[in-house]
Amino acid sequence: MKNSRLLGRLLLGAMIFLAQSCAPGTGPKPVSSLPSSGDGSKPPGDRSGEGQRNPTKEGNTDQSSLKQLQEGQSPKTPASSPLKDVFFGFDRYDLSEEARSILRGNSEWMKTNAAARVEIEGHCDERGTNEYNLALGAKRAQVARDYLVSLGIAADRLSTISYGEEIPVCKETVETCWLQNRRARSVIASGKPAS
Amino acid sequence: MLLKVWLAVLFVALGQSSFALAASAVTGEIVGQGGQKFPIAVSPLKNLAANTADSARLSTGIADAMVHDLELSGWFRVIDRSAYIESAQTSGITLGAFDFKDWSTIGAEGLVKGGFTVQGEDIAVELRLFDVYQNKERIGKRYTGRVRDFRRIAHKFVDEIINQFTGIPGVFNTRIAYVSNSGGRFKEIYVSHLDGSEKFQVTDNHTINLSPSWSADGRSILYSSFKERNQTLYLFELFSGKEVKFSPRVAGRYLSGKLSPDGQSVVATFESGGNTNLHLLDRSGNLIRRLTENPGIEVSPAWSPDGKQVVFVSDRSGSPQLYILDVQSGKSRRLSYSGSYNTSPEWSPKGDRIVYTGRVGNRFAIFSIAADGGEPRKLTAESSDSEDPTWSPDGRFIAFSSNRAGRYHLYVMQASGENQRRLTGSGGDDTKPSWSPRLD
Repeated sequence: MKNSRLLGRLLLGAMIFLAQSCAPGTGPKPVSSLPSSGDGSKPPGDRSGEGQRNPTKEGNTDQSSLKQLQEGQSPKTPASSPLKDVFFGFDRYDLSEEARSILRGNSEWMKTNAAARVEIEGHCDERGTNEYNLALGAKRAQVARDYLVSLGIAADRLSTISYGEEIPVCKETVETCWLQNRRARSVIASGKPAS
Repeated sequence: MLLKVWLAVLFVALGQSSFALAASAVTGEIVGQGGQKFPIAVSPLKNLAANTADSARLSTGIADAMVHDLELSGWFRVIDRSAYIESAQTSGITLGAFDFKDWSTIGAEGLVKGGFTVQGEDIAVELRLFDVYQNKERIGKRYTGRVRDFRRIAHKFVDEIINQFTGIPGVFNTRIAYVSNSGGRFKEIYVSHLDGSEKFQVTDNHTINLSPSWSADGRSILYSSFKERNQTLYLFELFSGKEVKFSPRVAGRYLSGKLSPDGQSVVATFESGGNTNLHLLDRSGNLIRRLTENPGIEVSPAWSPDGKQVVFVSDRSGSPQLYILDVQSGKSRRLSYSGSYNTSPEWSPKGDRIVYTGRVGNRFAIFSIAADGGEPRKLTAESSDSEDPTWSPDGRFIAFSSNRAGRYHLYVMQASGENQRRLTGSGGDDTKPSWSPRLD
């Protein structure tokens, strides 16, 4: 099973690479081959997390955050991912102009990779209560999904899930960390039927 | 296997009988001389048969459990054991068999004495409460049970002591269900006594489990889980280990829920298409009817004690605020007007007040508000975060989680906010406490 998953990941990686090479200029920019520290400002919280146990595995875009949590990987979307996270204000679920721009990039990738299905995860920062944050995360995932649909992505290629505040990428109690956690993350769910 | 052991503990009925006449009940405020906390001494118990190797552990263990509860209540000042004059193992435990002067000298106004007899795995415990000033016995009880249940015997006797003083039994023979990451990355559900003893792990699925709450009979725990990837509710029966999964008939997910006071239905938060609404379900998770149908966020429902109303959180005003819904008519009214972020309400057992978590600046604090509205009272300081309040079954205490000592731990306080004390100290984060009803 491990082997097949690894194989799947390699295939997917190849697919993403091909997609990027073929993508028109408006698509996501190709990035350096290694998902190193990404933007260079690695969240300090990651250091203490179990995500560091196997740093080479960090950066999958084809596994849900829950699966990554289970496997001890960081749920942080790597800079190399063709699908980018979008971020939200505290207790907000409206899309900023920047978020729309990022989602337009994601939609271009989905148009190029017409077989790919994507699950959009809604996440929140740790503040506030777990239940409210589950609902807030559902809103965030939904607005991202709805915007992609408005850009012409078929609804049956998209599904949503909320993890509330339960799977943060950064664990410090500072705003710079919280804003990384208030995100809608797109995970490639190829082969799985969208629900 | 763990479950079996714990169930056995739960199942053992503690035999109990009154063997002495209690003097006329002293009701009202528990105050000692001069309006201070009531000074009480709790003597280590006397080993009556002197036939167990476990003597010291039981002698002080039962006393320690009573001291913990008495201090947690906030009403008593327990006089330190090192000040006690008489020897617990040589002096008597009945009226006339010891000298009250040994206790009045050290300032005790109340005195708990007792003895125990161990036979195999069984224990018999006699406990008495004395009035040191009047040289009288107030309560005398005899308990029988398994040796390993000795703490429950102590909790039950403290409940009697509090009944003697206030006319309402204490709440120390109860349990708290809560979520803990135990220092790891998963969130599992646990149940333990208030003193952390008899800890039982309800879930062990290495995912995220949230929002445990009790059935009114104390036999089941309703919780939500990601264990089958899509979050939904599960109703777990503690005694049988049976579990019912709530599966919505239409696309969507149950995020949380609470069993009604009569145990017949569940009010659940249902998410579909990004909108969360309240649904009334039966105990198997079948939809009875939709209680709200709004395009926003409606979460965290909690029943009124009569089961006729539900307090919940809605963002229909633009920020999360508390609303009260009449279950029959479906009409709702807004309850909270101060603050821009009010969540996780719980209705008091008496029905008069509602506690909740409110945002103050960048922090969260516990507030309470009258169920018919008015000014909220802030019960915790905003120098740290305090969240997720839950009422004791008598409504005199509130448990909650707070990060005041770094990680999140469970705390308990009087309903007024006084006497805040820490309950748990695991290596991880303990959150989302739910206080059980009174247990046998």
